[in-house]
Amino acid sequence: MTTHYATVVEATQAGVRQQDAAVIKAAQSGDRLAYHQLYQQHVKRVYALCLRLTGDHGLAEDATQEVFIQLWRKLDNFDERSRFTTWLHSVTANVTISYMRKQRNWFQRMFSLEGGMAESQEAQMCSSEVDLDSYIRRLPEKARLVFVLHAIEGYRHEEVADMLNMAVGTSKAQFHRAKQLLKEWMGFEDA
Amino acid sequence: MRDFESELARQVEALPEEVSPQRDLWRGIALGLETGKQAPARRTAHWSALVASAVAVAVVCFSLIWQNGDSPENKMASGNALVQVISQQHQAQVEALLIQFDGQAALSSNWKSQLTELENAATAIKRALEEDPDNTALLGMLQHVYQQQLLLIERVHAPKWQQI
Repeated sequence: MTTHYATVVEATQAGVRQQDAAVIKAAQSGDRLAYHQLYQQHVKRVYALCLRLTGDHGLAEDATQEVFIQLWRKLDNFDERSRFTTWLHSVTANVTISYMRKQRNWFQRMFSLEGGMAESQEAQMCSSEVDLDSYIRRLPEKARLVFVLHAIEGYRHEEVADMLNMAVGTSKAQFHRAKQLLKEWMGFEDA
Repeated sequence: MRDFESELARQVEALPEEVSPQRDLWRGIALGLETGKQAPARRTAHWSALVASAVAVAVVCFSLIWQNGDSPENKMASGNALVQVISQQHQAQVEALLIQFDGQAALSSNWKSQLTELENAATAIKRALEEDPDNTALLGMLQHVYQQQLLLIERVHAPKWQQI
């Protein structure tokens, strides 16, 4: 019975993978409807990563839009030998980091986004006491980026350093800083 | 005694893979894909006009921020005023270009319909900005569409090969 169930699950998963591949292929050939379908399938996953990286709902929504605009142009670069979600996460992380840099250089100065972010972080902290996501949003920017990329997305410190244009040692130090802050906020005392 | 490392690992593992955005993002993406379909921007634009426009917009931004506080109402008002200033600046540039090329034959017969299409895209973006004036991606798109309009007018009236 268990074997039969496993076979059905495997067959279903294979069918889903084939469907996904067909949608990606159609989008690659310029089919806008297929691209909309791809968007619907993955927007929540992309947004979750953007939100963790930016720490702000508004910025995360803008970054998500930027990801899907750029993804349309990058789709041809997708190599079918790798998993689409893995590739999508990599594109999302890089586009979001680049987007955050542009925001800092231009719009953040113009619209004082820093203030808005702090407000929303406060509100989220009050509404959820033990939600790790709310603690991550509260982390300082560099520590947050390193923590999300290394601890959640699984990038090595060498890769994180490359993506964030920093030294490997800085990436490790920021990760340590992030963990120390999380430790404190989660109520763990130093040994 | 609780172990922080294992607790952290457990919490990371339990993080949701998906989070829903609070608003519909597809509309802005579709607009971005539309504007992306335009021909790549040529670097022969009226740089002096573009720089003057950017400086004027920056001055207005700073004065708006200086005059207004940080309340949502003031941010909304500042955002709307910024869109208005950008649009007025753009309109003045379009009129100046049309006067400059007045009486000169255009190389393409359908450039006015292309201009109208871009104008429709700008109107759609401005409508979206009315609801969400702080949306920086939309502001960027609006400026991009306006820039495309200026380049179109210039391209059909004074292509680079005529300027050699």
